[in-house]
Amino acid sequence: MTEAQIVEALLDFIATDGASDDEFNALALQIFAYQFENNAPYQRFCRQRERTPRTAQNWRDIPAVPINGYKDLTLSCCDPKNAERTFMTSGTTKDGVRGKCHHPTLSVYDTSMVTAFRQRFMQEHNKLRMGILFPTEETMPNSSLAHYLALALSEFGTEGSCYLLSENGLDSDLLFAELDRAEKTGEPYALLGASFSFVHVMDEMERLGKIVSLPEGSRILDTGGFKGQSRELELNAFYDLLESRLGVPRKQCINMYGMTELSTEFYDWGNPTCPSVKSGPHWIRSQIVNPLTGEELPKGDKGVLAHCDLAHFNCVSSILTEDAGIEVDNGFLLLGRAEGAEAKGCSMAVDEFLKAAQG
Amino acid sequence: MNFDGKIIVVTGSSRGIGAAIAKAFASEGATVIVNYVQNASAANGIVTACKEAGGDAIAIQADVTSGEQIQALVDQTLMDFAKIDVVVNNAFKPYTFDPDNRKQFADLDWQDYQGQLDGALFSTYTMCQTVLPALKKRTQGSIINIASDLVARPTIPYHDYTTAKSALIGFSRNLAAELGPLGIRVNCVAPGLVYPTDASRQTKERIKEMIIAQTPMRRIASPEDVTGPVMFLASDWSRFMTGQTLYVDGGLVMK
Amino acid sequence: MELKAGYLPGIKADNVDWQTLTYDRGGQAIDVSVPLLSEEQMKDLSARIKEASQQYLKSLTVSDITATIDAAVARLLDRKDTYRQQSEEYLPLITGYDAEMIRLGLTGYLKNFRQPELRRFIAEDFMNPKILDEFQPLPKGGYGKAYGPDLIAHIWAGNVPGLPLWSLISGLLVKAGNIGKVASAEPLMASWFARLIAEIDPELGKCLAVVWWKGGDVDQEQALLNQADLVVAYGNNDTLQQIRDRTPITTRCLTYSHKVSFGMISRAALDTGKAWEVAHQAAYDIVRYDQQGCYSPHVFFIEQGGAVTPQEFAQFIANELDCFEEKFPRRALTIEEAGDVAAWRQSEEMKSFSEGNAAIMSGASGAWIVAYSEAEEDLVPSGLNRTAKIIAVNQLDDVPARIAPYKAFLQTVGIAGPPEELHRLAGLLGAVGVTRISALEHMTSPEAGWHHDGRFNLLDLVTMTEVERSAETAAEAYSNYVD
Repeated sequence: MTEAQIVEALLDFIATDGASDDEFNALALQIFAYQFENNAPYQRFCRQRERTPRTAQNWRDIPAVPINGYKDLTLSCCDPKNAERTFMTSGTTKDGVRGKCHHPTLSVYDTSMVTAFRQRFMQEHNKLRMGILFPTEETMPNSSLAHYLALALSEFGTEGSCYLLSENGLDSDLLFAELDRAEKTGEPYALLGASFSFVHVMDEMERLGKIVSLPEGSRILDTGGFKGQSRELELNAFYDLLESRLGVPRKQCINMYGMTELSTEFYDWGNPTCPSVKSGPHWIRSQIVNPLTGEELPKGDKGVLAHCDLAHFNCVSSILTEDAGIEVDNGFLLLGRAEGAEAKGCSMAVDEFLKAAQG
Repeated sequence: MNFDGKIIVVTGSSRGIGAAIAKAFASEGATVIVNYVQNASAANGIVTACKEAGGDAIAIQADVTSGEQIQALVDQTLMDFAKIDVVVNNAFKPYTFDPDNRKQFADLDWQDYQGQLDGALFSTYTMCQTVLPALKKRTQGSIINIASDLVARPTIPYHDYTTAKSALIGFSRNLAAELGPLGIRVNCVAPGLVYPTDASRQTKERIKEMIIAQTPMRRIASPEDVTGPVMFLASDWSRFMTGQTLYVDGGLVMK
Repeated sequence: MELKAGYLPGIKADNVDWQTLTYDRGGQAIDVSVPLLSEEQMKDLSARIKEASQQYLKSLTVSDITATIDAAVARLLDRKDTYRQQSEEYLPLITGYDAEMIRLGLTGYLKNFRQPELRRFIAEDFMNPKILDEFQPLPKGGYGKAYGPDLIAHIWAGNVPGLPLWSLISGLLVKAGNIGKVASAEPLMASWFARLIAEIDPELGKCLAVVWWKGGDVDQEQALLNQADLVVAYGNNDTLQQIRDRTPITTRCLTYSHKVSFGMISRAALDTGKAWEVAHQAAYDIVRYDQQGCYSPHVFFIEQGGAVTPQEFAQFIANELDCFEEKFPRRALTIEEAGDVAAWRQSEEMKSFSEGNAAIMSGASGAWIVAYSEAEEDLVPSGLNRTAKIIAVNQLDDVPARIAPYKAFLQTVGIAGPPEELHRLAGLLGAVGVTRISALEHMTSPEAGWHHDGRFNLLDLVTMTEVERSAETAAEAYSNYVD
C-alpha cells in the first residue's frame, strides 16, 4: 500500500462506529507491512525479533518498539524532510536526546484527536468556552500536546476561548476573570492543560483564598500527571482539590493519557475514584505485557502497557511503553511509570552505575 | 506436536517423501519452504496442500548441488521469515532402484560414486555450510538428514547410492559432535523401501514381497510413515538427541 | 511452621513487635516474622552485648572462638542437621534461587569457615595471631595487642544466602560484640547462625544479636549507629552515604559498595579443544546466584585471533547458559526485574543495529541473554539475572585502559590465559583498581581470607594498643631489682 492509500483507509476506519477483531487485525497487518517495508530501522528491529509481515497473523504479533527506540532510531516511513510536522519527545531521559515522530500529514492525527475528543470529553456539548493551561502551538511547535490543545480550542472552543498561560507563566488575572465570568453567566466552562499547571492554579487560588463554583456542565481535562511520592494518594488529593476549588465534580475531571509516540489518546470517564479506568477509541488497542518476554499477562496482573495505534501510521504503530498498568473490564488502570527493581544483591545495576559514573 | 511459528526448510519436497514431510509439518502449524528443482507445478500443489493443512508454505526453486542457488534459497527464506528452525536434507540425485539391472561392482566407475556423493553428501554439506550462520546466531536448530536403511542392511547392494548414504551418516555424526556445544542438533532418518514414490515406482512386486516377508511389521513404508520420526527429531521432544539415526522400516533393521 | 528471623538475647519474644514479610518467589508463598525493636530496646540490647563482649568474649582465646565457630559451621554443613535442612528447605523459597544451586553454594561457601580456614583468615591479617590474645613483641620494638571493638554494627544487604556470615565471623574472631541488621531479601541465614552459636556456647551467644528494620527506617538505624563502636555497612552508594552521614564522627564506618566484575579470555584459551570448557566456566560464573554478587561478571572481553572467534565463543556461552537453565533454572523475576533486563536488552538491541556482527542471543522467555559486540564499548553493567555482554578486543592489554575510568566500581576479574599473561594483566588491572583476580568458574567463590574490596577483614576491625620501648625502658628504672 502507498502512503495515500494508508491514509485513506485510516480516515475511513476512524469514521466508522467501531471495528471487529478481524477488521482491526486486517488494517493493523497492512500497516505493519507498510512500516516494515518503508522503515529500514524498524525492519531491522523486527528481524531481530524474528518477525516479518509474512509471519504476523494478529496485531499482537507485531513487534512493539520500546519508546526509547525513538531516541536511537529514525522511525519514519516518509523522508523526515517531507514531514508536515515533527513532534519531539520530552528530553528528560538518556543523554537529553529527544525522539522524533514525523507526520507526513496531520490529517490522520487530527481526525483521530477530534473524533475521540468529541466522544470522550465534549460528550453532550458541541462547543464550550475553553481556557488552556499550556503554551501555544507557536511557542512549542514540536510539542504534540500543544498541537492537541490548539486543535481542541479551534475545533471545540467557542469564541472567547483563550490561552491562560503567557510567557511569564500563569496569567492569573485572565484566569480568574474567565472563572468569574463563567460563574456569573452560568455558561459551562472547560479548563484544559498539563496536570502540573493545575497544581500551579491550585497553589495560586490557595494563596489568594479563592474558591469558585463553575456552572453545571463545566469540565476539566488534565494530562501528563506529576511527580509524586504515592501516586494514588496524590491523584485523589489532586481531584479533591479541583472539585473543592473550582466546583467541578470529580466525575467531570477527565484525565487524558497520551504520548508523543502515539497519534491517539486514551481517556477515562472522570475521576470519582483513582486510578481511573482508561480506554481508547476503536483504532487503538492495548495489552499489558511482561516487558521481557512481551507476553500478554493475565487480566489483573501488573505489567507494562503496549499499544497498537493504527493512526500512528508513519512511525511505528506498536510501541512498548514504560508505563505500568493492569487490565480491567473496559480498559486498563494506569499505575504510573514502571520502576526498576531495587538492587537486591551487591552487584551494581545499570542505573546506579551510570549515576555514579557521571559523578 | 505444535510447530506454530516454526520455519522448516525441506529440500526436494515437491514429491515423494519430501512432499509428505512438508505436508505433515504444515498440518502441525509450521511454515514450510518447499524446495524443488524442476517441477514448479508439483511444488505449488504442495504449497497449496500445506496451506490447506493449516500451515503456511512457499515454493523456492534451487538445485541443492549449487552453492549459489542454496545461498539464494536461505537468503530468501530469511528475508521472508527472519529465521530458520529446522532443515530437512531430503533431496537426492535420481537413482533407479532396479535389483535385476543394477550395476555390479566391477561395472561401476568412480563417476557413479562421485555422482551419488554429490547428490547426497555435497548437497547436504552445502546446505549446512549455508544455513549454519543463521542457526548459530540463535544457538538452536535441528538438522535432519534423510539416509537409508540400506546402510545397515544392503538387501540389494546399490554400491554407489548406499555408500553415499553411509557417508551422510558419518558426516551427520561429526557435525552433531561439533554443533552440540552450540545447541544445534543433527540427526538422520533412514527409511527402508518407501512406496509409492517416483524412485520406487519401478520396483518389482517380487522385490516388494521379498522385503515384506522379512519385515516384522509385514508391509513396506509409505511416505507418511517417514514423517513422524522426522517431526520427532525436529521437535523439542527429541531435544536431548543428536548424532542419531532412526530406522523407519518396520523393523527390518534393528540397531 | 512459623519462620522467625532475628536473634535477640535477653529479650522476650512477647515484648517485641513482630512484622510479617511474605515471600512468593519459589512458587510457594512463605511468611517470615521479623522483629522490630523500639529505640529503647535497641539501646538495652546494645548495652548488654557490649557488656557480654567485655566480660566474656574478650576473655576467650582466638582458638576458643574458632572452635565454636567451627562447631557451628560443621552443623550447617551436616545434611542431617536440622539447621542445614531448614536452610535447604527455606532459602530457595525466600530467595527464589534454584534449590540445588543453593545447596551446592552453601557447602562451597561454608567450607571457608572451618577451623583451618579460619586460621587462614587470621594469618592473612596478623603475622602473629596471638596478638589478639595478649601483648606480643613488635618488630619495631615494644609490645602490642589488637583489641576488637565492644560492639560492631553490621548493616547487611543482599539476597545471596550466607553473605552476612563473612563480616559476622570476622567480628567474632576479633572478639567484638556484634549486632547485625539483616536485609529483607534474606533475613534467615544470619539468624540461624547466631542461634547455633548460642546453642554451642550460650555465653558467646550473648555477644551477638540479629535485628531487622525496614530499609530506610532512619530512627531504627540511628539507634544502633549511636551505640556502635564500629559500623560495617553494605549497600548502594546512596544508602552508604546516608549511613556514613549518620554515624557519629568518633565511630569508624567501613563501607562496601556495589561493584562490577568481569572476565577476560586470552586467545591462548580459545583453541578448539579448550574453548568449550572456558565457556562453561564463564557461564557458571554468570549463573551463580543470578549475578547478584559483587564478584559476578557482567562483561567478558574476548581476545581476537584464537581458533575460536569471539563471536563463536559468545555462541558457546549462550548454549552453556541454556544448559545451565536446565540444571539451575533462574529464579522467577518480579515485573520490575524483568523490566530492568528488558531495558538492558533493548539498549543492546539498539546498539546492535549499527554494527555488522553484533548479535543478541536469548533463551526461552529471556531466561538468559548474551549480547555480542565488536565495537569499542565502555564497561557498563549488564541487566543482571543472567545477562552478559561479550566484547571482542584486539588484545587483552587494551582492556585496562578502557576500564580505568571506573576504578571506584571494579572488583573481581576472572582470567583465562597463560601464566605470563596472567601476571602481566594482574599488574595492569591492579593499577586501575581491580582488587581480585581469580580463575573463571571461581569468580563467585572467593577463597578463605579474601581481602574483600582489597581491604583487611580483621585488621580493619581492630585497634592496636602499643607499649612503646620507651615505656618499657623507663619502667625498668622503677623496678625493685634496679641496681
